[in-house]
Amino acid sequence: MKLAALTLNQKLAIVAVALGTLALFSVPHRGPVVTLDTRELAQIVEKEVDHVTPSELAGWIVQGRSDYRLVDLRTESDYAAYHIPTAENVTVAALPEFPFQRTEKIVLYSDGGIHAAQAWMLMQAQGYRAVYTVLGGLEGWKDDVLYPALPAQASAAERARFERAAALSRFFGGEPRAEGGAAVPATMELPKLAAPVPSGAVSPVAPRKKKKEGC
Amino acid sequence: MAPFYKYGFFGDEMSLVLAFVLGTGFGFFLERAGFGSARKLAAQFYLYDMSVFKVMFTAIVTAMLGVTYLGWLGWLDLSLVYLVPTHLVPQIVGGLVLGVGFVVGGYCPGTSVASLATGRIDGFVYAFGIGAGTLVYAEVFPWIKGFVNSNGMGQVTLPEVFDLPWGLVVFVVVLIAVAGFSAATLVERRFGDKA
Repeated sequence: MKLAALTLNQKLAIVAVALGTLALFSVPHRGPVVTLDTRELAQIVEKEVDHVTPSELAGWIVQGRSDYRLVDLRTESDYAAYHIPTAENVTVAALPEFPFQRTEKIVLYSDGGIHAAQAWMLMQAQGYRAVYTVLGGLEGWKDDVLYPALPAQASAAERARFERAAALSRFFGGEPRAEGGAAVPATMELPKLAAPVPSGAVSPVAPRKKKKEGC
Repeated sequence: MAPFYKYGFFGDEMSLVLAFVLGTGFGFFLERAGFGSARKLAAQFYLYDMSVFKVMFTAIVTAMLGVTYLGWLGWLDLSLVYLVPTHLVPQIVGGLVLGVGFVVGGYCPGTSVASLATGRIDGFVYAFGIGAGTLVYAEVFPWIKGFVNSNGMGQVTLPEVFDLPWGLVVFVVVLIAVAGFSAATLVERRFGDKA
């Protein structure tokens, strides 16, 4: 059969089948060996695309979004005392062995930002790419979500923003700080875990089960 | 390296510009395939012209081979490509609703815009219908939210669902496409005269 005798469609079909056959041997997902592109990582850090702000995160939790996994990197006792609703506890030491999916969006947080940033790097080295950290960690969560402050001489826009933040704060069992009102509580008590947890979130006592299991 | 957006090589504004360029290109090729005409599209459902089937399957196979090889070369990280989460039953129902609209109106959403761009009045009416339908959907969404979000399987791919190697699924889909193409040609011969 001469090649010229074939129609264009038939030739294309042959090309497709050839490429499809070769694809049998393909490994489109990265294997266990990971090459870290340092320039690429530097780009990510520079552009700050690896951050989720506490308010963004709070919004996701309120909406009941389940397209990400929130990971608390602190110790078990810290986690038991308080954690951001819907978070699951994986300590930094346990992180390398923890069975995350590569396609999952993973949001990390620790007390401040350092452990989370280090864990972020660990995850990168294991080939997880959709990893984010909560900006400011749990401290940022306290400042922005649980105890938002109304700046002195706030403008109308700032006031409106504070009202929204205050509603969010009460939702998570926090206490908004209005101007002149109660100064920052000395110890900034964290809400007790019995405090309102958004519907859909599992009680913090039991570790959160992954929502989208079973396929 | 890719996806470029996820790696922050361009931001939201640039991605809108690129979306416009890609969308225009998509529309151009839809028109070139003859899909700016409702007659051509409706013919698919009466089986005397299988162009829709052929063009769509060609696009699927081309894109599938493209991402497979880019992933293999390490140029594209497939784990970062966004997939629409699968909700099996709601999506089957949605597909049927879209299919009925397709047969009745003679267009699918993309082709109606291509048709509108070439000045066809039926394309304009259809695109207006999309807008109205979207508005109605948004208004009734609170009542059907539970159903829309039911059956969630997350962002899954065929290799994961069937627990098969990626390459094997690619190979099988190519074979199905080629077989489907040949079958479509036979179907056209069988029903083509009735055009």
